[in-house]
Amino acid sequence: MSAAASSAWLPLYGLFYVAVMLYWARVGARENGDYQTFFSAGHSLAPWISVLVLAGASLSGWFVLGGSGIIAMHGFALPSVLVAGVSLALPGVFFFKRIWFVGQRLRLSSQAEIFRSYYESHFLVVVSTLIALVFAVGFTGLQMRALSQIIETLTGETVSALTASVVLGFVLFAGVAIGGMRSVGYFGVIQTVCAYSATVTLAGFVLFWSDGFAALNSSLSELAAAPEGSVKFLVSGVIHFTGGLGRGGELAAADTAVANLSLAFAFMGFQASPLALKIVLSTRNANGFGAGQTWVLAGAFGGLIAFAVAIIGAMGLIHPALSVEAMLARLQEGSPWFAAMIFIGIVAGVQLLAGLALLTAAESVVRHVYKPYFHSTLSRRATVTLTRVSIAVLILITVLMQSLTPVTLSAIAGLALPCAFQLWTPLLGVTWLRWITRPAAATGVGFGLAGVLLTEPFGYQVLSFLGLELPWGRWPWTIHSAAWGMAANLAAVLIISAITNRNAFGEEAREARDFLHGTLRTSRRSHGLRSTAWSAALIWLFLALGPGLIFGNAAFGKAGAEGASWLVGMPSLWAWALASWVTGIGLVWFLSYKMEMASPYGQEIPAYEPTLRLRRDRSDAEQERLRILIITGAAGFVLIVLIAFSFGG
Amino acid sequence: MSSAKSVDRDLLVFSIWAVLGFLGAAFLLEGLTRDAYWVSLIGIAVIVAAFIAHIIVNAVFDTGFANGEVALGIGSFGLLAFVFIASWFTGDMSMPDFWSGLTLFSVLAAGLFVYLSTRHGLRGAFSRFHVNPHHDGESS
Repeated sequence: MSAAASSAWLPLYGLFYVAVMLYWARVGARENGDYQTFFSAGHSLAPWISVLVLAGASLSGWFVLGGSGIIAMHGFALPSVLVAGVSLALPGVFFFKRIWFVGQRLRLSSQAEIFRSYYESHFLVVVSTLIALVFAVGFTGLQMRALSQIIETLTGETVSALTASVVLGFVLFAGVAIGGMRSVGYFGVIQTVCAYSATVTLAGFVLFWSDGFAALNSSLSELAAAPEGSVKFLVSGVIHFTGGLGRGGELAAADTAVANLSLAFAFMGFQASPLALKIVLSTRNANGFGAGQTWVLAGAFGGLIAFAVAIIGAMGLIHPALSVEAMLARLQEGSPWFAAMIFIGIVAGVQLLAGLALLTAAESVVRHVYKPYFHSTLSRRATVTLTRVSIAVLILITVLMQSLTPVTLSAIAGLALPCAFQLWTPLLGVTWLRWITRPAAATGVGFGLAGVLLTEPFGYQVLSFLGLELPWGRWPWTIHSAAWGMAANLAAVLIISAITNRNAFGEEAREARDFLHGTLRTSRRSHGLRSTAWSAALIWLFLALGPGLIFGNAAFGKAGAEGASWLVGMPSLWAWALASWVTGIGLVWFLSYKMEMASPYGQEIPAYEPTLRLRRDRSDAEQERLRILIITGAAGFVLIVLIAFSFGG
Repeated sequence: MSSAKSVDRDLLVFSIWAVLGFLGAAFLLEGLTRDAYWVSLIGIAVIVAAFIAHIIVNAVFDTGFANGEVALGIGSFGLLAFVFIASWFTGDMSMPDFWSGLTLFSVLAAGLFVYLSTRHGLRGAFSRFHVNPHHDGESS
């Protein structure tokens, strides 16, 4: 086949992808009436659409690139990656149904609005906005960069990575800015199934190249027999008290049980993020969340990771040169239609997440920060227009960062999941733990974010720039920043909740608490299963993600110098992870249905009608606020430059 | 059909063809390129599966193929048939490719016949093509 014929398939599939996307953007825009229901699709997304989009955004695109990369680098020593389907599903079981009830009762459509109504906390609103921005610019920007590089490779450098990232940015802008949340939801369904099928197809090719599953495992067995290879099939202890990566901690010795557990905590951050709650609060009813979290996310997508992503990663482990990019390049030579199909599938998965992140971030900046604090008279049409402009600006920033500052982009991307995990405490306060007070939730998140920043490269690079060298590196004691942050977060929440007034809540918070207490009271049967649920959840966490992983090292056979003797024909930790995945589905099902945490419901939810208040002209106060912001910003900038000039740089 | 139902139906149809349609086409192309009849056959089976899934969705939503879908299907069929016949005449076609093409068109034609006869009955299926002036408002 000629090179021209071979390279024609990618643009052909790409054009088809864009055409379908524009079709659904048009459908979305028409149903929105251009701007009326731009932000939340009129809270009318069908539950099955939300379920698929949640699953697709939670795992598909970024896990093919990132998850397979982790397995290729660390081997099977981080089995929490293989059980990520269950880890990602658990937060949704805890939060989605109750958050949707609160949102429906108070007519709220985003996480920032929930924090404003419930806690009346400006800090939490700004934190939610910042986390959405980190997802939009850093987390998805890093993946878009990887995709741009793959395009450069597949086109034989005819299309540069910069050009590719600009084109991908344009496509993204068109999809999100035209149709808003509705087109993200509608097209997200197609993106999700494309990403799923692309991952399965790629795994099929890996098996074909390896001469089957048995031959793949035979190669893994040979690798395990090598002295330097065997560590990639073992969890290397419960914890290592190292100074962290870059401060004496070795990457090879970092795959401990607590590293697995804390990495799983980071995964659990996604469904507590503003992105996931945006989909939840745009949904027509909450009856699909149980089935979605159990069968779609933990089941189907969890299986995708435990098998397909693991197989792709295993190929990279055996042949380090065979990354996803190299596999696609190999396919491009002989079967360019398959290469195009798989690549467009991965693009679809990443763009789903990117579109959702951009919409959420731009909406947060305009609707939840700019409008309430600086321009309360902004009309709805102008708000939508400004949001569209913000989406364009965010895409421009991320495209520039992909090209000019990839290291910073990577450092920011690393903050997204652990920072989102810190939002667990305020969300628990809204949904389950009524004793978490407003100052405790806000201070806890502040401490949590500080904990994350101080154990991530972004934080210590910033401090180093200002002249302060931290004595530890990334993830000290082999504990992921998500867990460090949560330790600080929980400590602050517990102490401050104990010493502050637990009844000092506003009218809307009291209404939300009374409403949840009145409508979602659990049945006597599920009440009686509480201790069973706690026991099952803790045992599963211990064995599947925690110190019990040590048992997985040899539960299904051993690997050593004389060769591997794996009882089920695959690495012991892989088999352990598969067992954990299956039992994890059982756990998610038990919590969703038997404990009624995400079970379907039958009652109507009337809207809460707040006490009417006179609206005052706030334009003077807003002008003053803007002036203070500019002066503070300028003074802060000067101060930072002076400190950096004096001590760091 | 309500707008929400129409969107649900269209999303399912797009998803089916985005996955099975492209996968089937890729297998078919792979078979044609490698002169591997069995690989082409997998592609044809996947395309047939896409049609079956589409028909099931239509049945669930109590509707038939939309006009645009019919036009796209017949147009694609005609284009593929033209390419097949042109390749046959130019003499570049290998025997596996010839059988692959013939199987595809036979299966699609037979599928169309089976679909119409199960949906409208044998006589009704014929009436879909037969123009009866008495039913076209020309009778007195």
